[in-house]
Amino acid sequence: MSGTGHTVKSYEEEMQSLNDNLVMMGSLTESQMADAMAAVIKVDKDSVDKIVKNDGKINELRSVIDNQITTVLVKRAPMAVDLRITISTMKISHDLERIGDLAKSVAKKVKPLPVDLPDELIGSLRRLGDLVQKQLKDALDAYLNKSKDKAIEIWKKDEQVDDLTNLAMNEVATYLQKDKKNLEMATHLLFVTKNIERAGDHITNIAESLYYLIEGEYLEGARPKGKPIES
Amino acid sequence: MELNNSKIKIKAKNLNVFYGKKQALFDINLDINQKEVTALIGPSGCGKSTFIRCINRMNDVIDICKVEGSVEIDGAEINEKNVDVVTLREKVGMVFQKPNPFPKSIYDNIAYGPIIHGAAENKDQMDNIVETSLKKAALWDEVKDRLNEPGTSLSGGQQQRLCIARALSVNPEVILMDEPCSALDPIATAKIEELIDDLKKSYTIVIVTHSMAQAVRVSQKTGFFHLGKIIEVDSTEKIFKNPANKMTQDYITGRFG
Repeated sequence: MSGTGHTVKSYEEEMQSLNDNLVMMGSLTESQMADAMAAVIKVDKDSVDKIVKNDGKINELRSVIDNQITTVLVKRAPMAVDLRITISTMKISHDLERIGDLAKSVAKKVKPLPVDLPDELIGSLRRLGDLVQKQLKDALDAYLNKSKDKAIEIWKKDEQVDDLTNLAMNEVATYLQKDKKNLEMATHLLFVTKNIERAGDHITNIAESLYYLIEGEYLEGARPKGKPIES
Repeated sequence: MELNNSKIKIKAKNLNVFYGKKQALFDINLDINQKEVTALIGPSGCGKSTFIRCINRMNDVIDICKVEGSVEIDGAEINEKNVDVVTLREKVGMVFQKPNPFPKSIYDNIAYGPIIHGAAENKDQMDNIVETSLKKAALWDEVKDRLNEPGTSLSGGQQQRLCIARALSVNPEVILMDEPCSALDPIATAKIEELIDDLKKSYTIVIVTHSMAQAVRVSQKTGFFHLGKIIEVDSTEKIFKNPANKMTQDYITGRFG
């Protein structure tokens, strides 16, 4: 963000370490989301425990980042861009942690699913998962490159996430109407869909935090919303 | 933003100051709003103290100092030859880095200015000025039973508030503060800052400070000086959250030099 480094080297190192930990946290969250989605699509029950366990690493990193931020605030009283980096890092790390939790929840829903999940049920869900993973990857890239334009693009794209969520939920509802015996499976899939959509909302938060970090202003206007579910 | 709605009390236009051949200020243009606190920040030697000394013509006492350009207070030029500097300094009081009470009693420290300006006709009036000034400076309760003791017997923070009371005793409109807390502990500093908050309701205050945190806490507008030039002036919130100029950002985030 700023061409020259801090006069105090240890301050520079503290900010660098904060950045490194956030990048690591982002990378772990991205893997967790990918693994969780793959587990759902393939109904891979064996991978669930590993995904649940790995979530702990993300939580640990969030704790580390929280502590680092408290230290920076008390030691450095950061100003201007440093203040914005500190505040945004805290917010982004909390959003990543929540995305990690949602990935874990998605994975946990795999165990009760039947292994022969019909294709007609997971078409939109697969596309939704792909889109949210792409959004997360783009958000992390935008953070690394401090790209304001990319942040706006991600923020606007949440509308597509909402639309695909509605589509996926309609698919499950239609399938359920065919045979009420599908109720349990449908409920699990609805939870999976909703959790992925909420992960998308946290990615939108990340885009907003990133925009504030870069511009020093908040993204204006209401968040883009998808079309409501038709009943 | 309040910046646009506030009345301008002091207006510096194309102000240049020279100490002999060395130029200390270059084309300074700065508006200072009435009944607000304006903070001036910048590295040592950047010209911020030189600038505030132009507001009450303190530079007149330095032989080699030459001031060019304009400083207006309420629209009237203060650098005109016919301006009486004693009257000007009555209107524009000053508080310095180190508390500098006169070697006199607490009472006489306050009474000194009003005596010079003939502000009181009798002892009762003077007593009233002393009490009011000390109350405005939030010092009365601490010194009311020891008014005849030397001003220098007070603690550093109390001495600084005594100097503020002394400045207030002649009913100024503007108070210039040149690093008023740099010699004080955090509690004495907090008391001065609380006082500044209170005083800004009635006075226009310009404060030079090296403490970014203090500038954020006390001021509504901040100007950043560097090498005799004003680099950026804006609302304090904007300067410390999102300054427009990279030099300002580098300075306030500790990336300078």
